[in-house]
Amino acid sequence: MTNKTLIMPAGVSAAGSAAGVETGVTPVRGRVVKSKGMRDLLTFLMVFGPGLIVMVADNDAGAVSTYSQAGAQYGTHLLWIVLLLLPVCYFIQEMVVRLGIATGKGHAAMIYQRFGKWWGLFSLVDLELVNFLTLVTEFAAIDLALNKMGVDPRYGVPLAAAGLALLVMTGSYRRWERIVVFLCLLDFAWFFIAFRLGPPLGQIVKHALIPSMPAGGITADLMFLVIAIVGTTIAPWQLFFQQSCIADKRLRFADLKWARLDTLLGACITITAAVCMMIAGAASHAHGFRFTDPAQMAADIGTFAGPAMRSVILLMMINAAVLGTTAISLSSAWAYGEVRGWPHSLQLPWREARGFYALYLLSVGAAAGIVLIPRAPLQLIILGVQVLAGVILPSAIIFLQLLLNDKELLGEHANKPWNNWVNWTIIAVLFILSLVLAAQVAAPNLFPSA
Amino acid sequence: MTTKNDRYVVVHPLDDVYETKVDTEALGPMPMTRSVRYSLLSLRAYLILMVLLVVYHVVMLAR
Repeated sequence: MTNKTLIMPAGVSAAGSAAGVETGVTPVRGRVVKSKGMRDLLTFLMVFGPGLIVMVADNDAGAVSTYSQAGAQYGTHLLWIVLLLLPVCYFIQEMVVRLGIATGKGHAAMIYQRFGKWWGLFSLVDLELVNFLTLVTEFAAIDLALNKMGVDPRYGVPLAAAGLALLVMTGSYRRWERIVVFLCLLDFAWFFIAFRLGPPLGQIVKHALIPSMPAGGITADLMFLVIAIVGTTIAPWQLFFQQSCIADKRLRFADLKWARLDTLLGACITITAAVCMMIAGAASHAHGFRFTDPAQMAADIGTFAGPAMRSVILLMMINAAVLGTTAISLSSAWAYGEVRGWPHSLQLPWREARGFYALYLLSVGAAAGIVLIPRAPLQLIILGVQVLAGVILPSAIIFLQLLLNDKELLGEHANKPWNNWVNWTIIAVLFILSLVLAAQVAAPNLFPSA
Repeated sequence: MTTKNDRYVVVHPLDDVYETKVDTEALGPMPMTRSVRYSLLSLRAYLILMVLLVVYHVVMLAR
């Protein structure tokens, strides 16, 4: 590859981008390479980002808690469920990729324009509410981890919030993406953690590939954990985030196959990291510890694996919360900006997209503030997040499915019959889980207790 | 991306000319069959019911 930058005159684009960025006459800057292989690699690296970020950010603080709790309660017995979710999260996000590239607009704008005001507002309000409650849980996790590290959260939490604010305020999508991709790659530390703590490989492979039930059969706790695992692996904000991210990055039709590869790679990394979190939980249980929260789990593991392991787990917990916070806050700000018609791009400086940035800052600041309030009802908030996410997810995927069958909108990129079979099956399963969750909330004694 | 004498030019999406996309605003609301419309109405009822159930549960827990 030559390290040359080529600047070519560009044609005039009549339409501005949907995000409100001026896209008129700009010279096209390109990199010159000499082989097809280098061309493909460089193109992939340029397109790479939204798929990895959405998937890895999905392993947020709530996910760390859910997966490690599943490991602590049921060992490696539920690994097969996590593995089953790999194709599910890829198929769902792949649809988002096609929709984002074809329309150049976010998911919230699509629902608003194609299904009308009622659905547009319902989806937006529900998304904003669930996202905000989720943000509170992210900061609660930062608070917990800082406490265990001996750092006063009264300083640590505002510092984390300030860092998260600075991250998006640079006026450059690329800068934001590079930093966040770096944070995503830190997730590989979970592989190291699992390798150091892991049970025999044969047991992991067996429980990952052969479905099995833990001793005690189907109980209320098991059902709740299974629903929580599904809910944490496929979250509504992911649909909104990745589509808006693709629109902001202005991915082109030619980028579709690379964006799919980005998403698949992200799905594989996030599911493998989830398996590692479960293995960490199982290791603490195997040493006789009872799970209360991931920060305590890190401290417990530190007693037999050393203080370095304890610090690594706590840092990974903070990293998960930071990634979750930036992605979730952005999905809120993008969605609101799209529906309100505000300029909403990370490429814009503060003065040109005040509403968009203000909403991001408000979400981050308010969530951090709530966590610092003594005796805030955090457990109630966590429950609210899980249940509301369970409510919004099946309906959000139904809209996605309808939009992906919209030939006017997508033309040749619309769903094929096999896509529809797969997706309707996923929707049916999600609806059943959502109904089970509702039934469990309404009748807590529906399933036998452990 | 263009080819010129065995050289390839790779352009970052943000450095490229904005690609023309489908004009979604001109398309208006999605045309729906009667069955889809009724299905969405039942979904609306289901969601309202679920939200009320959640609110009830949270209020009971908070008391």
